[in-house]
Amino acid sequence: MADIEIIDNGILIATLRGELDNHEANRIRTHISSSIFSGQVRSVIWNLEGLGFMDSAGIGLILGRMRDLVPVDGETLILNPSSTMEKIFNFSGLGSNIRRCTVDQAIGEIGGVLHEK
Amino acid sequence: MKNEMTLSFVAIEENEALARMAMTCFITPLDPTIEEISEFKTIVSEAVTNAIIHGYECDGKSQVTLHAVIDDNKVSMTISDEGAGIFDIEQAMEPMFTTRPFMERSGMGFTIMESFSDRLSVESVIGRGTVVKFEKTFSPVTETSRMR
Repeated sequence: MADIEIIDNGILIATLRGELDNHEANRIRTHISSSIFSGQVRSVIWNLEGLGFMDSAGIGLILGRMRDLVPVDGETLILNPSSTMEKIFNFSGLGSNIRRCTVDQAIGEIGGVLHEK
Repeated sequence: MKNEMTLSFVAIEENEALARMAMTCFITPLDPTIEEISEFKTIVSEAVTNAIIHGYECDGKSQVTLHAVIDDNKVSMTISDEGAGIFDIEQAMEPMFTTRPFMERSGMGFTIMESFSDRLSVESVIGRGTVVKFEKTFSPVTETSRMR
């Protein structure tokens, strides 16, 4: 399950819950992608605090959206994954996108970068 | 303890969750840590997803079979399909290699399975199917691991 919210500054916040596998990724992909292509989105924050399970389909989903963001040079942050998920992100080279912080702090980080531009 | 089970289901994506749930229940008597359960579920999920989407292309009628044995605190498991088979196993196991980039498959499945299991092997014959075998030993629960 995914709650998607687009806030000021063009930041999309995807809050994921339940289990993110291949089946679930296929269900939510179009939804998130079309929000990005709606135009105003420059960065995506994945809030995984309430996500109970994720396999490599989560990597495919996040890497795919990072690709969507390339034209706008957008940023991606991954918040509070479980330790197993963190290992999976590290295997996939996404370790540097992980933050242990609140959504507000993550918005502050991305907002600051946007402001500098 | 000793226990053994077999579970078969048709190749539809909804059964990825069924496989994880059934296998989680099966290993619960070993009193695994949250992290061990989570790693075990991930291995099962990767192998079952591969069988469903690569082996059978979600045909909705061919069977994926899981077989698992508990011996003391070690689980030995096989995930089998009689589907397409893997053309080049060595290549398939390379990180980031995928035959399905347009489906956003990350190509990390085997890397994850190898990392989270103690031992993993893959046998495959083109047109005959694929068998993934793995073992994972669960540590007896201590007070500290309960706290995590």
